[in-house]
Amino acid sequence: MENPSYNTDIVRSFVTWSLVWGLVAVLVGVIVSFQMINPDLNFGPYLTFGRLRPIHTNAGIYGWGVGTIFATFLYMVQRLCKQPLWSDKLAKFQLWFFNATIIASAVTLLLGYTTSKEYHEMEWPIDIMVVILWVVFAVNIIMTIINRKEEQMYISLWYMMAALIGVAILYLVNAAAVPASLFKSYSAYAGTNDANVHWWFGHNAVAMALTAPPLAMFYYFLPKSTGVPIYSHRLSIIAFWSLIFMYLWTGAHHLLWTPVPDWVQTLAMAFSIMLIAPSWGSVINGYLSMNGQWHQMKENYLVKFLILGITFYGLQTLQGPMQSIRSFSAFIHYTDWVPAHIHMGTMGWVSMISYACIYYLVTRISGRDLYSVPLANLHFWLALVGQLLWTVPLWVAGVLQAGMWNAMNEDGSLTYTFMETMVEMYPFWWARGIAGVIFMIGVLIFIYNIYMTVRKKESAPSTATAEGRA
Amino acid sequence: MDWASILYLGITFGLFVIFALIVVRTYSRKRKDENEVAKFRMLDDD
Amino acid sequence: MLEKKPVLFMLLATAAILVGTIITMAMPFLWVNTDADRIETVTPYTPIQQEGRDIYIREGCNNCHTQTVRPLVAEVLRYGDYSKSGEFVYDRPFLWGSRRTGPDLARLGGKYPDAWHYKHMESPRSMVPQTNMPDYPWLNDTALDPESIRNKMETLGFPYTEEQIKELNGKTEMDAMVAYLQKLGSDIPWRKVAETTIVGDLTNPFPGDASAIAAGKDVYSSNCAACHGDNLEGMIGPALTDMGMEDADLYQVIHSGIPDGGMPGFSNLGSTKLWQLVNFINAEK
Repeated sequence: MENPSYNTDIVRSFVTWSLVWGLVAVLVGVIVSFQMINPDLNFGPYLTFGRLRPIHTNAGIYGWGVGTIFATFLYMVQRLCKQPLWSDKLAKFQLWFFNATIIASAVTLLLGYTTSKEYHEMEWPIDIMVVILWVVFAVNIIMTIINRKEEQMYISLWYMMAALIGVAILYLVNAAAVPASLFKSYSAYAGTNDANVHWWFGHNAVAMALTAPPLAMFYYFLPKSTGVPIYSHRLSIIAFWSLIFMYLWTGAHHLLWTPVPDWVQTLAMAFSIMLIAPSWGSVINGYLSMNGQWHQMKENYLVKFLILGITFYGLQTLQGPMQSIRSFSAFIHYTDWVPAHIHMGTMGWVSMISYACIYYLVTRISGRDLYSVPLANLHFWLALVGQLLWTVPLWVAGVLQAGMWNAMNEDGSLTYTFMETMVEMYPFWWARGIAGVIFMIGVLIFIYNIYMTVRKKESAPSTATAEGRA
Repeated sequence: MDWASILYLGITFGLFVIFALIVVRTYSRKRKDENEVAKFRMLDDD
Repeated sequence: MLEKKPVLFMLLATAAILVGTIITMAMPFLWVNTDADRIETVTPYTPIQQEGRDIYIREGCNNCHTQTVRPLVAEVLRYGDYSKSGEFVYDRPFLWGSRRTGPDLARLGGKYPDAWHYKHMESPRSMVPQTNMPDYPWLNDTALDPESIRNKMETLGFPYTEEQIKELNGKTEMDAMVAYLQKLGSDIPWRKVAETTIVGDLTNPFPGDASAIAAGKDVYSSNCAACHGDNLEGMIGPALTDMGMEDADLYQVIHSGIPDGGMPGFSNLGSTKLWQLVNFINAEK
């Protein structure tokens, strides 16, 4: 049974709110995807694509992504340290302040208060809120680690601490701005410098918020779900240091062929290729942990989510470096290839892992079996099909549009006008919209399943030996 | 060789040495138990 | 030891993070936006242009439009001269974007007359029927606030005159947006440099060829109808029926444009499409 001194209420609350913001992110995503097909779905000035798209991305990253990070980190740290949370009051404040920050972000973005910097659109007052939130969170986690009863720190704690430090540095540097009024500021950096600083932030927000934390979660919840340890703790250590060292060099691969100095671009390209090694270090570690356990792919719904998740991480970290090569970037950059790449990461990797973690810890905290394993399996398939129907058509679309942009006639002129290439995108955008709806149905089933699990009144103690066994 | 190339080479070599040291340290036979114990401890029932 | 000392561990992790950060993020400041990087003709935004830029940001235009032309053949042909670092020294924040759902706008300034932009911002589909760009008619409804714009200019440290602030009275957000769009990428004289001249005699390669005329109609719909009307009846640009121009002269005008009259040059269509267009227009008279 649960150690009664662990704070599980706060974990439960963060799960609840990350589900709420996750649903908002997907819903707004579906709305904007249809706005791209039919401009009549824009209702100005507030409900236009230009204002809603940042709400989709920020609700996804900060609401669903960071919300899940809060829930799982607060859950893992207590158990890995065999130590209750350092401060329950601070955690409670964090929950309250988290929702205040997300709501303030959504409202101000709708009103058009934006810095325009992707994944960092919130204006300076909200930046301050984010910083406070992160400090409160970091202090609580770090103090719990310092007070731990378990001497050796498991790899998940490593990734957690790196994420705490990394996000803090990135966010603070990129937030630097001179306020002109309460909701308008100008970046402290200009032009090319601003671009380089921003994509150093942008790419490493992916590293420190959407890679290190899901890896921390994967390394914890995979062994917990299968009941067997990770294949090699030492391999995870090598992969860890390589990953956090190399990631920071790669931001400029978002800026290939732009006026950013050439040597910065070249370094970004080289380090992006090198990143394949530590990324696959984790993928292989995950696969080898399944040695003799592959039958669980059939029997244990949690393992399905986790192994498919790490598989898409593996694909993501091959495709990403490929896109970072100058010649390849010249072709596919600025097309729908890139959004499809991002969505394989968010829908295929981060969300799959997050689903498994939430299924696991909700059943664990409540001490009950999952309401319905068949529904969890259905959710798995809807998430998988939704993601693939999103990404595969848009990779095709990206290659098609890139080819049309570059097509030239014998007399040296361009074959197609811009509009001629854009109208070719409509069928693919339809596929994306439908894929989003499929994915959203999966999310709704997921939420229903979680709700029914914690809601049912009659006592139903867990009978399974390892969580997730049906 | 100009000084910039020497610097680049030096930094690259230095990084490689650091990496090699991390690998050697992590995989040293002496530390095998120490470095692998955490993965078993985390499975303990909590 | 390291595995058991969280504080030491975090210091080392921070050091690992800072190496790449310092080299690829901090060090470029030594080169970028220095005097060597600057271009003399690039000037700060005027009050109305800066306000237009802030509206561009507010409406999230950068979610669909990039503002940087890469030094690639097809891209320079489509948009214009590739972007230089010195052109962006007054851009806070940068607006290079990441996805071209719509076309790149880095070289938009001076491409179309103001009237084109007013109509296009109000109702893009009235000019480009298949576009997915939303309408922005409400920009016409909001008047500019001169004092808040003065405050922004002070914050940015950009020079401005009282005259410029006074002129903002009675102007709308739409005026500011158009002023900004017309400034984009036009600080360097790239159009002049990129100008091509026709050498030798111009002879119509497909006189009276029905298939060339049909092809010319498609070229017209994609490139000309937005300004000259679906049936050459004229809209923003003049009617093209009964022009009575020689084929060679008409070719010359379409190729090089009429800079003072707001007509862009279409040399990037290439000679084949230009001749098809000439044959189509002159067949309509």
